[in-house]
Amino acid sequence: MADGPYVALPPNVDQAAFTTAVRKFTEILGAENVLTAQEQLLPYMKIMMPVDEAQHAPSAALIATEVDQVQRIVRVCNEHRIPVWPISTGKNLGYGGTPPGSRGQVVLDLKRMNRIIDVDPDLCTALVEPGVTYQQLYDYIEERKYRLWLDPPAPSAIVGPVGNTLDRGVGYGPYGEHFMFQCGMEVVLPNGELLRTGMGGIPNANTWQVFKWGFGPYLDGIFTQSNFGIVTKLGFWLMPAPDVYKPFAVSYPDEADIVPLVDSFRPLRIGGVIPNAMVFVGTLYEATATIRRSQYYSGKGATPEEVIRRIRQEHNIGAWTAYGALYGTKEQVDVSWKIVTDMVRGSGKGTIITEEEAKDNPAFRYRAELSRGNMTLQEFGLYNWRGGGGSMWFAPVSQARGSETLKQVQMATTILNKHGLDYVGEFIVGGRDMHHIIDVLFDRTDPEEMKAAHACFGELLDEFNRAGYGVYRVNTAFMDKVAESFGPVQRQVNQTLKRALDPNGIVAPGKSGIRV
Amino acid sequence: MLATNGPLLPLASITAAAACLAAAGPLHAQADGRWRDGEQVYVKVCGHCHESGVGPVLKGRGLPAEALAPITRHGLSAMPAFRAAEIDDQALQALGDYLAQTPAPKAAPQSNGGKP
Repeated sequence: MADGPYVALPPNVDQAAFTTAVRKFTEILGAENVLTAQEQLLPYMKIMMPVDEAQHAPSAALIATEVDQVQRIVRVCNEHRIPVWPISTGKNLGYGGTPPGSRGQVVLDLKRMNRIIDVDPDLCTALVEPGVTYQQLYDYIEERKYRLWLDPPAPSAIVGPVGNTLDRGVGYGPYGEHFMFQCGMEVVLPNGELLRTGMGGIPNANTWQVFKWGFGPYLDGIFTQSNFGIVTKLGFWLMPAPDVYKPFAVSYPDEADIVPLVDSFRPLRIGGVIPNAMVFVGTLYEATATIRRSQYYSGKGATPEEVIRRIRQEHNIGAWTAYGALYGTKEQVDVSWKIVTDMVRGSGKGTIITEEEAKDNPAFRYRAELSRGNMTLQEFGLYNWRGGGGSMWFAPVSQARGSETLKQVQMATTILNKHGLDYVGEFIVGGRDMHHIIDVLFDRTDPEEMKAAHACFGELLDEFNRAGYGVYRVNTAFMDKVAESFGPVQRQVNQTLKRALDPNGIVAPGKSGIRV
Repeated sequence: MLATNGPLLPLASITAAAACLAAAGPLHAQADGRWRDGEQVYVKVCGHCHESGVGPVLKGRGLPAEALAPITRHGLSAMPAFRAAEIDDQALQALGDYLAQTPAPKAAPQSNGGKP
């Protein structure tokens, strides 16, 4: 540890004051866990957004392993007005990555707080620390031969349930809307106090992970997508392994088929016939599992429509592919399968593809793995589509209504193509809503494409907002803009809470556009 | 550069690689959150991309550990950076040693692309 100069400094904190704070951090964590050298901080600067890394450079990274260290760190941060950006497994790919939301914040790296505190095979609950990955939890369950399934997001193995749930991420199984299945939190408040939400407030409670609401106002929600505290333990529910698992796909040939597709599957999702977070995947999203753009087109700008049609034909990819799965006893699955197949055949649209028919199709395979809660990173094929390491998720919420999904696809495609980028999108079905997930892919090594991507993302947000839509989540470069789109009253309420809980504004200032 | 622009990975190779990873799972469990050896790091992190055609093959290329470390730490193109908090220096060295002595896979998977 040196006394500076530093890679960056927190706003309004000079080098001498920061050095004093760094010494205090070192007393708490030991020198090896207080990183200030450029070489040590480079892994905390990797971004996929179309902005300069320097805008998100941290001043230091602190590696904590114990809750009391986190409590002591926030006290030092208050004393010296040092902003601190907590990360868990620290990936958040396409939503800002590892770096802090703004230059000079100290990253609090909780990856090594990776204890699996409890998994109850009878009640199907888990309590874990922020650094636990899905891979680690998967191995833990396998080792003990518990009949429990996980529900990871697509980057499964290298990310974890705490960070993903706190950012209200989603998966692909029946527990796909992760925050719905969260139960109990431990939070280090910005003043260093330790809060256990819900039943966790009762000393010696054994109901913390089984009853979400506790007594009085339900608080867990305010610690998601926020900066009101640092979550150091998270409880959530696990799915009992079913006797039978039957993944399937239905392929639709025409772009406009998204309308009957959405409208025909909606009753089955809301009615619970199909229990999992179904995915409706557009052509290029599906194609990235096996091909890259340069195999078909090496020109600048958006991939021409005729090229996309050729990809469909040559690779037998639908304009839309619906992926779902059935879970249960054989009898249950048989009944539900008949309902699904009767519906598809009755609609006169779509070709059903079973697991046996799909054989080794890589796209089907990884979708089936995800809906089953297995570890796979096959979806990272997305990043090979255009190459160059640029990615931002544009993720507007849509009604689960065909006319609305088609409208959003057309709007997004028009704007993306105007900026020379492709529509690489899918819908993740929540029942009544759909998360419309579009990967805005661009080449970070091409300055023109960086500019285009930034402008494109801003226009997507503006135009969708104008049409009455909002996103469910966004990267750190656009959080203020999105917070603004949800109106001044929401923003003021968040600010009131921030001022009450974190009067010095030390925890993750700017997260979701919230500051003191 | 590690990235290649080779042809598509044949489906059979993907399946074989996936089966290999699945079979390796219980042997290389990481339930206690600590790395046991370089092979475990490879199977639990790297292999998910580098044996599935998403990233280039790493095995059997005689990659020197000193070349591997900066790419792991800083990332490369879309490849994420892996911090010392995730893969500590000792585990990273063990990973490099492991990869340096691995033979090439029989049906060598090739990357489906990715600019460096």
